[in-house]
Amino acid sequence: MSRRNRFRQGGRAIFFGVALVCMVAIGFLAVEIVRELRLLNSANSDNVQWTLSQAEVEFLEMRHALDTARRQSEPDLDRLIEEFDIFYSRISTLDSGALYESLRDIPEFADPMQRIRQTLDDLVPLIDGPRADLAAGLPRIESALAESRADLRDLATSGLYHFARQSDSQRISVAVTLSRLGLLTAVLVMVLVFLLRHAQNASRQTERRGHELAAAYTRLNTILDTSLDAVLVADLRGDIQQFNPAAERIFKYDAQQVIGRNIGGLIVPDHLRDAHEAGMARMRAGGERRVIGRGRVRLDAMRSTGEVFPAELALETAHTGSEEIIIGFLRDISHRVTSENELVEARDKALAGEKAKADFLAMMTHEIRTPLNGVLGNLSLLEETTLTPVQSRYVHNMAVSGKLLMSHVDAVLDIARFESGATGLRAEVVDPGRLVQDILDSQTSAAEANGNRLHWAWTGPVADWIRVDASRLQQVLVNLVGNAIKFTRNGDVQVELEQGEPVDPTGGEPGFWLDIRIIDTGVGIAEADLDRVFEDFQTSGCTQDQGLPGTGLGLGIARRFVQAMGGEIGAESTPGEGSVFWLRLPVRAAQPPRSKGRVGTGASPAGPRSILLVEDNEINLQLARDMLRLMGHGVSVARNGQEGVAAAEVHRFDLILMDIRMPVMDGLAATRAIREGQGPNRDAPIVALSANVLPQAKDRFIAGGMSDFLGKPLMKEELSQVIARFCSDAAREEVPPPALALDDPLAALKARYLEETHALFDWLATKPEAWTEIADRAHRIAGSAAAFGHPDLRMALLSVETAAEAEDAQALALAVDEARQAWEAAPAPCVA
Amino acid sequence: MMTFPNLHVASAALALTIALAGAASAEHLPEPHGPVILTVEGAIARTNGEGRARLDLQMLRDIGETTITTDTIWTAGTSEFTGVALDDLLEYLGAEGEEIDARAINDYAVTVPVADAVEGGPILAYAMDGKTMSRRDKGPLWLIYPYASSSTYRTEVIYARSIWQLDRMTVRD
Repeated sequence: MSRRNRFRQGGRAIFFGVALVCMVAIGFLAVEIVRELRLLNSANSDNVQWTLSQAEVEFLEMRHALDTARRQSEPDLDRLIEEFDIFYSRISTLDSGALYESLRDIPEFADPMQRIRQTLDDLVPLIDGPRADLAAGLPRIESALAESRADLRDLATSGLYHFARQSDSQRISVAVTLSRLGLLTAVLVMVLVFLLRHAQNASRQTERRGHELAAAYTRLNTILDTSLDAVLVADLRGDIQQFNPAAERIFKYDAQQVIGRNIGGLIVPDHLRDAHEAGMARMRAGGERRVIGRGRVRLDAMRSTGEVFPAELALETAHTGSEEIIIGFLRDISHRVTSENELVEARDKALAGEKAKADFLAMMTHEIRTPLNGVLGNLSLLEETTLTPVQSRYVHNMAVSGKLLMSHVDAVLDIARFESGATGLRAEVVDPGRLVQDILDSQTSAAEANGNRLHWAWTGPVADWIRVDASRLQQVLVNLVGNAIKFTRNGDVQVELEQGEPVDPTGGEPGFWLDIRIIDTGVGIAEADLDRVFEDFQTSGCTQDQGLPGTGLGLGIARRFVQAMGGEIGAESTPGEGSVFWLRLPVRAAQPPRSKGRVGTGASPAGPRSILLVEDNEINLQLARDMLRLMGHGVSVARNGQEGVAAAEVHRFDLILMDIRMPVMDGLAATRAIREGQGPNRDAPIVALSANVLPQAKDRFIAGGMSDFLGKPLMKEELSQVIARFCSDAAREEVPPPALALDDPLAALKARYLEETHALFDWLATKPEAWTEIADRAHRIAGSAAAFGHPDLRMALLSVETAAEAEDAQALALAVDEARQAWEAAPAPCVA
Repeated sequence: MMTFPNLHVASAALALTIALAGAASAEHLPEPHGPVILTVEGAIARTNGEGRARLDLQMLRDIGETTITTDTIWTAGTSEFTGVALDDLLEYLGAEGEEIDARAINDYAVTVPVADAVEGGPILAYAMDGKTMSRRDKGPLWLIYPYASSSTYRTEVIYARSIWQLDRMTVRD
C-alpha cells in the first residue's frame, strides 16, 4: 500500500516534472516565436529587393537624363541633377542604412558599393559646380557612370542573393522553432492526456473509496449500534463525540443529551473524578498513559441516576486527521460481580463448613476416645480383679460393647481421614503369611463362637517378604474375615494367598500382584445386593446373631484402602452356599528385615524401667500407671507439664510418656523445656500420648522434639513395644521394623492373658516357694481364663491357688501339672 | 527614443497662427517666398491658388515644429528628426479626406491614410539632427513615423509609407 503510494507519487511527480519542462520549453519557444514574429512584423527588409532594383531603376533614370542632356543643344541639367540626387540618396541609404548593415559585411556588396560611392562623391563637385562646367563635363559623367553600371549590377545581385539566403535561414529557423514547438506541444498533449487519465483514475478511485468508506462507516455504525458494550468516543478534552445505544442503555443518558459534554462530570463517579482529571491532563501533556492501551481495566462508573456500578473499561486512542480521539469500550459487570461475590461467599461458607467438620472430627476423636479409653482400660483392669462369673460376664459384655463403639468411632474417623486425603501410604516389610496367621489368630474365638473353622494357605509359590501398607491391608483383612465369620455358621472360612502376574517394576525391587481370597461357606449374598456391599452405610439384615448392628462402613473403608493402594476388590457369591471376597494388590518383593522379632504379638518383655508418666486425666493416669506397673516398670507420675519438667529435673528416666493436652503447661512445651534444659532427661525418649491420631498431629509432635507417639486409648501391646523399642539395649542400636499393632483392645487383653499365663507356667517350672505369690498369680490367671473361655484351666488354677494357700507342695505339683495340661489343651483364647 | 520637447510650444504657436490666419482669410494661404517644397491638392480648405496649396520651408516651419528622436532602418544610429506633424499640417490646410496620395520626386507613390495623422504620429521631417535635409539626403521632406515608440510603427506597411524626397500630396475622400 505505502509502497504503491510511493510509486504513484513518484510517477506523478515525474509526469508533473515532464509537463513542467514541456511548458517551460513551450514558453521559451513561444517567446522565441514571438520574437521571430516580431522580426517578421518589424519587417526589417522594407522590401529590400525593391530597394535594390530601385537603385538600378534610378541609375538608369540618371543615365537616361544624362543621355537626353547630351543630345540636346540646351541640355536640361536640372533634371540630370535631380536624378543624380535621387540616385545618390539611394546609394547612401544602402551605404549607411541599418537595414543593409549585414550586406555591407560581405565583400561582394561592400566593394562595388565602395566604388560606386567613390564615383558619385567624385562627381559631386561637378554636379554642384557651375552649369557650364557641368554641361562640358557630361562625357566625363557618362564614362564614370558606364563603369558603375557593372558594379551596380553586382551590388544588386549580391544583395538579392544575401537577402534570399537570409530569408531562407530565417524561414528554416522559424520552421525549426515551429517543429520544436509542435513536438513539445505533442509531448505536452500526451503528458496532459496521461495526467488526465490519471486524474480520471484517481477520481474513479476516490469515488470507489468513497463508496467503500461509506460502506465501512455504515458497517461500523451498525456494529456500534448493536454492540452490547458501551462505546464512547471523546476528544482529548474529554468532550463526548459519540455515544452508542448500549452506552445510552448502560448510563441511562440520551446520546443527544451528552454529545459535546465532558465525560468527567457525566459518567465518572465522584471518588474517581480527581484521578480522571489528572489522567486526562497527563495525557494531554503527552505524559504517561496508565489506562489507555492497557487492555481491560476494572473500575467504577456512574449512571445518570448517580448509581455507581462496577465496569470493565478498555481505552484506545486514534488519530483522525490532526486530532487525537479517545475510544472507550465499557461493559457493565455489576451482574457478574454480584454473582462472583455470591460464589465467593458460597465457597467461603463451604470452606468454613469443611473446617467446622474437620474441627468437629478432631474434637470427636479426642472427646470420645479419651473417655472410652478410660472405660476400656478400667474394664481391662477390672477383669484382673477377682470377679464372680456373672460379674465377669458383665464386664466382658461391657468390654465387647466398648470395643464395638471404639471400632465405630474409628471407622467414621477412617473415612473422614481418608476423604480429607490426610492419610498417606506407609509401606512396611511384612511376611504376608504371618500377617494372615495373626489375623486368623485374633479371630479364632469369634470363629469358634459361630462354630467356624479358619484356615489359610498359599496357592502356588510362597512369597516370604513383601513391601506393603501392612496396617491397611490388615484392617481390610480383619474386616473381610470378620464378615465371613459373622455370616457363616458351622462352616469354613478359608483365606487363600496367591502370587499373581508381575507388576511393572519401576521402584527397583520386582513387584507382583498379590491375590487374596476370603472364602466362606456362609449364607451368601443375593445377586442384587452384591454390587452395593462396598458402598457406605450398607448393612446386611443378618446382624441379629451378634446382637449389635454394624456401621455399614467396613467394606466401604476396605474398598477405599484397596483402591488407595492401587488394587481392586470384589465379591462373588451364591446364596446359601457361600461368598468369595477377593482383592488384588500390587506389592513389591522385599528382603527380610534383619531383626525377625515376633510380629503382631508383642515385643520381648523389657526389664524393669523407670518411667515418668505425665497425664492430667486421673482415670487415664491410673490406667496407664497400672498397665506399666503390671509390666513391672517403676512409674513416677506428674499431673501437668510443669510438674513433669520438675520431675525430669530430679531423676533420670528411661522413658517419659507425655500427654499433649494438659493444664498449666502442655506436653509440647514441657518437652521443649526438657530438651532445652540441662537436666538428666534432655536426651531421654519422650513419647506423646494423644487421642488426636490424625497424621498431621503426629508430625507436629515429632517436630516438637518428641520421640514417638502413642494413640489413646493406650494399648498394652503398643505400650510394651514402645518401651521395648526405646528401652532395650538391643533396640537402641537397631530399630526393629514397625510391629503390626492390632488396633483391638480385646486382642491386647488376650495377648496379655497368653503372655501372663506363659509367664506363670514358666515361673512355676522353677519350683518357687513363695506360696502367697503363687496363690495370687494363679487366682489372677484363673479369672482371666474364665473370661477367655478356658474353664478347665480356671479350675486347675483354682486348685493351684488352694494348694499354695495350704502350702502343700505335693498337691501344688499335681495341680500345676493338671493346669499345664489344661493350658496346653486349651484352644486359642476367645471371648465367651 | 522619441521625445516631444517642443510640443506644447508648437501647439501654442499653431493656435496663434490659426487665429491670425483666420482673422486674415479662412480660405487663402499666403504665397510662398522661397522655393516650393510641397504641393498639396485635393480636399483641402485652404489653398494659395489653383486649388492647391504650395508651401515653402518657412511656411512649414511656421505651422509648428515637432521633433521625433528615433532610429530608422535606412539610417545608421539614432537621429533627431524635425518637421511638421502630419495632423498639424492637415489641420492647417483644413483637409477633410480619408487618404493622402503622397508622391516623391522619383515618382515613388504611396497612399497614407489620414487616420495615421494623429498626435504623436508621423511628421514631415525637413531636418535630421538639426540639418536641413537636401535632396541627396532624402530631403526636402521625409515622412517619419516614430518607429522606436511602438512596434505598430515597425511594420512593412509603415516602412512603405515612410516616403522620402516627398514633394506632392493629394488629399482624397
